[in-house]
Amino acid sequence: MTAAAIDARGLGKDFGAVRALDRLDLEIRDGEFFGLLGPNGAGKTTAVHLLATLLAPSRGTARVAGHDVVREGLAVRRSIGLVFQDTTLDRDLTVGENLRFAARLWSLPDRVARPRIDTLLRQFELRERRDDPVRTLSGGMRRAADIARGILHEPRILFLDEPTAGLDPRARRSLWEQIRALRAASGLTVLLTTHYVEEAEPCDRVAVLDRGRLAALGTPPELKQAVGATSLEEAFLAHTGHHLAETDGG
Amino acid sequence: MGAVYGIVAREFVRFLRQRGRVLASIGRPFVWLVFAGGGFAAVFAGRNEIDYRVYMAPGLLGMVVMFGSLLAALSTVTDREAGVLRMVLVAPIRRSTVAFGKALGATLLGTAQAIVVAAILLPCVQLRPTLAGMLLGLVALVLSGLALGALGVVLAASIRSIENFAGVMNFVVFPMLFLSGALYPVRHLGPVLRTVAYVNPLAYGAGYGGELPAPLDCAALVLFAIVGLAVAAPLLGREGGVTRAAFRDRR
Repeated sequence: MTAAAIDARGLGKDFGAVRALDRLDLEIRDGEFFGLLGPNGAGKTTAVHLLATLLAPSRGTARVAGHDVVREGLAVRRSIGLVFQDTTLDRDLTVGENLRFAARLWSLPDRVARPRIDTLLRQFELRERRDDPVRTLSGGMRRAADIARGILHEPRILFLDEPTAGLDPRARRSLWEQIRALRAASGLTVLLTTHYVEEAEPCDRVAVLDRGRLAALGTPPELKQAVGATSLEEAFLAHTGHHLAETDGG
Repeated sequence: MGAVYGIVAREFVRFLRQRGRVLASIGRPFVWLVFAGGGFAAVFAGRNEIDYRVYMAPGLLGMVVMFGSLLAALSTVTDREAGVLRMVLVAPIRRSTVAFGKALGATLLGTAQAIVVAAILLPCVQLRPTLAGMLLGLVALVLSGLALGALGVVLAASIRSIENFAGVMNFVVFPMLFLSGALYPVRHLGPVLRTVAYVNPLAYGAGYGGELPAPLDCAALVLFAIVGLAVAAPLLGREGGVTRAAFRDRR
């Protein structure tokens, strides 16, 4: 039995006259590693924020972990973890204080939170930095702490919104290593947004988003096959008619 | 409630770590006492045989609570700019809980500052309140803090960035201070200013502003707090704060 982790039907969002997301139909299975690929401004972040109940949809519906994003916002937020593009950690608090703050926001009792925080800090190689203010951490460490914060409450579904933006190659590699380990250990559903084609390559399935519209959907091999492309980069070009970088507004 | 405790605890940790803020909050009332107090005392000297500094002391405590709570609540703006507010908004808690947590943190922080200041200030001006007076004062401080904390969250949720702080100071904080009765009795003012004083939460907290009986003052403060929180909750979760700004930049 594979219940849909995420089920969006005609989900859309306008900001004034700007149509950020047109009508998104998406079904993500439990345990799937799903990629949302597209240039900046394609509507990826809008889609994630709609699914995370941070935005109210202009049209359509979506269920996340079986809960309606409009009517059951609390239940949705209880079952998801979201790592934002930019850090959400309090720079003036230490790594440990930030995680403790998050644990309280998620109403985790201390006796549950404490061992979990210890484990996560070890897993993300942050143990020595536990009592340092986040301000003093490198970008890669900060991102690792962000992800630790995002999975502290053991969500069913994890949203990673451009998690590698601004990281150097080494930090990037270690991040992917950690995400792989996490998925292997817990069967976590992951929805990743990225504008790097190579990051979408290991995904089970990829949705190509372009100017607020779903341009293509399938496994990476399927996407390539459909247009006779040898790389996902080529496939993206064929599916959208332009390069990823072309609409990259920065 | 874990989330409220978490929000309040973070407020205290942050405050104690900002040494400048701690010193400013403790030192500010004494600057007023020496400079404003000295000036007004000279003007009022011999009028009705009340030492102006004694008149001023309770009002200064009100001022400490006002600055303490308002500034703490206004830190919601910083939370939004730094991204911390997103962590809070994506947590499984209601917007009203977030608003209440912020206002409660502001209240307790403001009250704690006022208690520390009172311990130094009251002996300085040789004011020895009775036990009942102290208790009533404490209630007034807590309720003023809650009303002002709620107002601060509303302001923070409505203003876009820290740059608007100056506007808040000039057009909200200072009028509120002057129309509170903390520095001079409000009853001598003209009808317009006196009317404005009635919508000033600090006037009720300072007690001698509206010349109302204490229970009415308290009721007014509670009303301010409830209305403030009710207004603040939906404003906090407003989508503008979360995605829209980021989205606009990108287009």
